[in-house]
Amino acid sequence: MLYIHHTACISPQQSFGDINIEALHESVNNQLLAMEPVYAGIPPGLLRRMGKAVKMGVGAALSLLADQPIPAGILIGTANGGMEDCIKFLNQIIEYDEGMLAPGNFVQSTANAIASQLGLLNHNHAYNITHVHRGLAFENALIDAMMLTAERPEGPYLLGAVEEISTYNFNIDFLDGWFKKTPDSNLRLYNTDSNGSLAGEGAVMFLVNGNPQSALASVKSVQFLHSDDEAEVATAFGNFLNKHADEAIDWMISGENGDQRVGHFYTRCESMLAPGTGICRFKHMCGEFSTASAIGLWLACYMIQQQKLPGHMIKKAATRGFGKMVIYNNYKRYQHSFMLIGN
Amino acid sequence: METVELKEQLKKQIVQFLNLSVKPEDIKDNEPLFGEGLGLDSIDSIELIVLLSREYGITIQDPKEGRKVLVDINTMVDYIEKNRTK
Amino acid sequence: MGIISSIGDSVGLNRNALKSGKCGISTLGLFPSKYSGELPCGEIKTSTESLCEKFQENREGITRTSLLARHAFEEAINDAGWDKSFITSPETAFVNATTVGGMCLTDELYRDANAATNGSLYLSSYDCGSVALYLQKKFRIGGIINTINTACSSSANAIMFGARLIKSGRAKRVIAGGVDSLSKFTLNGFHALHILSPEICRPFDLQRKGLNLGEGAAFLLLEKEEDIHDRKVFAEITGYGNTNDSFHPSSLSAEGNGPYLAMREALNVSQLKPADIDFINAHGTGTENNDAAESKAMIRLFEKQPAFASTKSNIGHTLGAAGGVEAVYSILGLLHQEAYANLHFENAIEGAGLVPVTQNMPMPINHIMSNSFGFGGNCTSLIFSKA
Repeated sequence: MLYIHHTACISPQQSFGDINIEALHESVNNQLLAMEPVYAGIPPGLLRRMGKAVKMGVGAALSLLADQPIPAGILIGTANGGMEDCIKFLNQIIEYDEGMLAPGNFVQSTANAIASQLGLLNHNHAYNITHVHRGLAFENALIDAMMLTAERPEGPYLLGAVEEISTYNFNIDFLDGWFKKTPDSNLRLYNTDSNGSLAGEGAVMFLVNGNPQSALASVKSVQFLHSDDEAEVATAFGNFLNKHADEAIDWMISGENGDQRVGHFYTRCESMLAPGTGICRFKHMCGEFSTASAIGLWLACYMIQQQKLPGHMIKKAATRGFGKMVIYNNYKRYQHSFMLIGN
Repeated sequence: METVELKEQLKKQIVQFLNLSVKPEDIKDNEPLFGEGLGLDSIDSIELIVLLSREYGITIQDPKEGRKVLVDINTMVDYIEKNRTK
Repeated sequence: MGIISSIGDSVGLNRNALKSGKCGISTLGLFPSKYSGELPCGEIKTSTESLCEKFQENREGITRTSLLARHAFEEAINDAGWDKSFITSPETAFVNATTVGGMCLTDELYRDANAATNGSLYLSSYDCGSVALYLQKKFRIGGIINTINTACSSSANAIMFGARLIKSGRAKRVIAGGVDSLSKFTLNGFHALHILSPEICRPFDLQRKGLNLGEGAAFLLLEKEEDIHDRKVFAEITGYGNTNDSFHPSSLSAEGNGPYLAMREALNVSQLKPADIDFINAHGTGTENNDAAESKAMIRLFEKQPAFASTKSNIGHTLGAAGGVEAVYSILGLLHQEAYANLHFENAIEGAGLVPVTQNMPMPINHIMSNSFGFGGNCTSLIFSKA
């Protein structure tokens, strides 16, 4: 069992610092860009080199680490890490025809730049890992953290997920048909019947350990599968629910993203919930990106802590409270994850 | 180009290329670039060698040799004036 | 186990090559770059086209990285004689590691990323996860699938993660390792940092001038002891440790703190003492910084320096694949009770003065340590013991 004690979230909504997610900020040009804070605590010498993903990740993490013991592990999930820096370096290669190149972008382009910068800033010699398995990068980091909290419960461990909308990521995914082809808005994300979603970004950090005392929430179980077969996914979801049948699920937090091609997965899973279970959605707040499920987890913690949720998230109201939640997320049709969260 | 102008230009280029938060006019001519002073590191020294190549056509093959030139603005400008091909 | 490298495309051929001191490093032949004919690399002299042919893949969206991985993956699976149901079982996990992913297709990536076309066939093949996804789909692997990228320690971390999945009961069996192919991206990146050697690399030598890049893939099949029954066993993973050096984004601390702590952690997990380690497959890239720092770390940890060597002198630095490839080489040494020479060594590093094994020789080995230290200071140490 993994217990979450502190959270931080930089996202396209007001989720950081003075939190107010009741008001919904609208997307622009089919993108939901993060509301970035002024980054305190990062030495200028390091800040100047950081791309947006690294800044967001480090910024969110540092806000958690002040007044806390040095983490016994840093675990990050990110599919594209420093992709912007990667492409900047690539542009140099082409522009200067493999001639004399400035290495700064290359050093920042590795996916583990976020985790290693955090280790550097924190003077942290502990376990340091970056999971990059596309739409399950965060889930793998979470499983890794769950294994750590079982092996050494005291922790604490810094667990997080980061992704940025770099021009280049956006271009690649846009060309591949994952974003809306015509102008759209997050305000009507679920009312459209077109392909693709809206691009999003964010950094979510959690301070976790194996100790239930004073925890905000707990992650009881994580499971994922690779499949584009609805029946297979339904079977897996059914098994997941049955394994935890003794706990009544109050809310399903759904990763429905406005892409009509994957809506049927969500509809099917929703139909398997017990009566009275509420359904809420979050991709209209943060957009679609490989580690968006971390935003879902942050919202689960928010709902458990606050015992409420913004009206714009509700697809179907619950008859029960805010105790147990299941998060179902799907990424690019083929990767699916289920998380069981409790108070 | 006058030495004074070159110094100004170089400071602007360094700030831009290395994305420094300091203002060009606040960099002293004899302020050490590495260690105390501007606080640049080994990656910056390689980047400055690239800057010299791109802006002034000067090739320094070995970063270790480069460090002898990259002491402060004065030494850099002196080297540029003697070796520039652009 | 399964492996492909510049000295062989099977476990057996790699062992033969190591035993005969074969060096797979030469100037680039197949790979298109300004540096072809100039920079020595551990290039696998099998073209991507012939790999496609071998696997009857039609090049659409398939990268060289994925094909190299498939080659090593298939050897491992066939070697194990696993039932087909093992692979599709939800209890079978696959943990891959790569730093390059599909970025070996530098020119295509440049065009797609800059939206200069209507989109190539490789749009979903660039990221690191694409390789594991390719293999998962091909073989219908049923359990946890993961991809790790921590630069040069990636596949060592993949093996460590795989072992922990089994230990925690999240998997019954794991295929773990990594792959990387040569790419303009990494070639130019390391060249820009001035850490590529213009000559064949000389790990731990006084005159070393840097590293040579290489490419390769290697996978280990991991299972719990009680599940093996009468299937053959090569080795036991008895220790693992991962730490962060926390000194600089692209170099290790002079004292080798990260390497020292990683090795010590691996020893703690294995409950072995430093004196129990009979041989170390060192990270030994041939860069001034790594070899000095790694030497310092070994001197700090071991009262009596164990025999050691770097197999990067045979195949170069295979980046994300290094941990996996060197795990296979370590296990070969353990299985056959032999040490493989550290090639191109003449004089020891001043100060440290450590001398690696420079001749192939029989050697009694009960416990062997394999080290991988990466960019960003990520340091991992694995210990394999006689089964």
